[in-house]
Amino acid sequence: MSSESSLFSHRWLPALLLAPLMLLIVLFFYVPVFQAFYWSFFLEQPFGGGSEFVGLQNFQRVLSDPEFWGATGRTVIFMLTASSLAVIVPLMLAVAADRKIGMSYPARNILVWPKGIAGASIGVVFAFIFNPFVGLMAPLNSLFPGLWNPGIDGTDAFVTLVAAHVWSGIPFNFVILLAGLRSIPPTMYQAAAMDGAGPWRRIFDVQLPLIMPQLFLTFVLEFTESITSVFALIDTITGGGPGGSTTLLVYKIYVDGFRGFDLSGASTQTAILMVFVLLLAACQFFFLGRRINYER
Amino acid sequence: MTAIDLSIRAAAAEIELIGVTKSYDAKNTIIPAIDVTLRPGEFTVVLGPSGCGKSTLLQMIAGLERVSGGRIVIGGREVQDLEPKHRGCAMVFQNYALYPHMTVAENMAYSLKVAGVSKSERAERVATVAKMLGLADYLTRKPSQLSGGQRQRVAIGRAIIREPGVLLFDEPLSNLDAQLRHDMRVELAELHRRIGATSVFVTHDQVEAMTLADRILILNKGHIEQFDTPKAIYHHPASVFVAKFIGSPPMNILEVEGDGSVLRLADGQVVANYSGTGKFQLGIRPEDIAVNEGGSIKTEIRYREDLGSHEILETKIAEQNLRIAMPFGVEIDTTRTLSLSFPQARLHLFDGDTGRAIANAFGGAQPASVKEYQ
Repeated sequence: MSSESSLFSHRWLPALLLAPLMLLIVLFFYVPVFQAFYWSFFLEQPFGGGSEFVGLQNFQRVLSDPEFWGATGRTVIFMLTASSLAVIVPLMLAVAADRKIGMSYPARNILVWPKGIAGASIGVVFAFIFNPFVGLMAPLNSLFPGLWNPGIDGTDAFVTLVAAHVWSGIPFNFVILLAGLRSIPPTMYQAAAMDGAGPWRRIFDVQLPLIMPQLFLTFVLEFTESITSVFALIDTITGGGPGGSTTLLVYKIYVDGFRGFDLSGASTQTAILMVFVLLLAACQFFFLGRRINYER
Repeated sequence: MTAIDLSIRAAAAEIELIGVTKSYDAKNTIIPAIDVTLRPGEFTVVLGPSGCGKSTLLQMIAGLERVSGGRIVIGGREVQDLEPKHRGCAMVFQNYALYPHMTVAENMAYSLKVAGVSKSERAERVATVAKMLGLADYLTRKPSQLSGGQRQRVAIGRAIIREPGVLLFDEPLSNLDAQLRHDMRVELAELHRRIGATSVFVTHDQVEAMTLADRILILNKGHIEQFDTPKAIYHHPASVFVAKFIGSPPMNILEVEGDGSVLRLADGQVVANYSGTGKFQLGIRPEDIAVNEGGSIKTEIRYREDLGSHEILETKIAEQNLRIAMPFGVEIDTTRTLSLSFPQARLHLFDGDTGRAIANAFGGAQPASVKEYQ
């Protein structure tokens, strides 16, 4: 620490260097967060023109709305399925790409490419891929009519959403997990081989325990991100339908606030969602984070 | 380590390498062909410069590298196509390769756990080995909480807990500081005596080789230069390569020419009597050179290095470097020309082209066991 502080002897210089970033964070994060919490205690006019303090009435209204609980339930299901798969699938790919098997070098490269694609574009592409008439499932549909139709069947739509999310999450999680695997010294595997552990045993006894920091990181990021970043996918693939079956909380907030002009209701739900995400991350750190072994 | 505990004792296995080769592609041959037999219970040190193929050789015995050709026979069983776990070998790695997420006890017991040994027996074996290595107080610690020497002991404990017939060491002491390296050397020697497993120890450190080995196998570019006891290798090096590799400072090698009766340096000075003709390389150890008034070989001192117990004089004769080791207490006038003589019995003669030793060149006791490794 002493060497760092002696590097910047001026008291105001570090503050000055931090200022632009702090400004951005305050303007685009803390102010909106504060605004959302503030509005959740007021009844806002949709087109401006004064507001009225209503105490906890907004919360009462939102929490007694069955649609809110439906969206929350779907959010939790999505969070559990999509984010777990979005870590497990890249994990399997990373373990495979880490081994010296054929094509593992080009695979390491190609698997990172989807990182360059925006969420909305992924949504459009997946809407086509899972289109019941021209997509991947079209041949199956012609054999078993009505087997797959995300336009009518809510479950099909939800599965499409999960698939698109998992796919878009592959590059980042793959890179993090592969980096973790690559940093394990090769002699560790040799030692395990000498100890009699086969390839599968080595995965569970050596590789996974040693990439716990990376797994923890990807899980925390995925859990929190799956709740918010799914917006672009919903908007482009399903529009929340059919019949609200893919209306997750983040999409409901958007619809309520910007289409229904219920600013107070949307703010209240935003506040609830934010607290939920915060608690979730805190729980992860509390229950899992302290058990992670960072030693090499 | 007070009472001698013999409950860890291996059934030592013979290791036979028959025409073992290793090459990565047509151009990259690491080991052309090695034929060697390591006796049961023998401590063999494989010594050579980096890149000579010694680690590759060890990994092929262990099963961590495939052989490109030839056979490896351990305890009468052909193992070159078997998985490491079926070869009955255990290995100690240079960087210890301990599992950082496991405790000392778990690290040592891991191979037993994989093999399906019961929990109570595992605990028993761990306790025995830990006692043997002085690790009993550290069993619940993680490797990161141990010192380098302790980690190395855990790595050794992990290797010996299965009582393997063959123990392999891949430069296990090179990460330790000088004092610790010495202590571990002593401990390893004692451990070997107690366990009795056939041990193969790879190093580039000649001191480790000289002190630990029953026999030293000197490897150069994948070839065996010499395979013999430390004494024989020191006193009767089979080639210039071995002569230069063993000894500190290494043996002096001088280019000489024989005219049928004597060997001469390029400047005409006669250094020894010899009946052969042609180019030769003459070897003499720095400590074997006699400095005296009667010596016929003249040289000037260029530099002197006082090492306390002895002194190294750097000199030059006929444009070739010559090091002389002087015992402590001998006063030398550095300003005057030195008179040297090379005692005939201490000279080593090597072929000018191949660098191989010429046996009995000066009638003294010369290598009888040079080709013994076959």
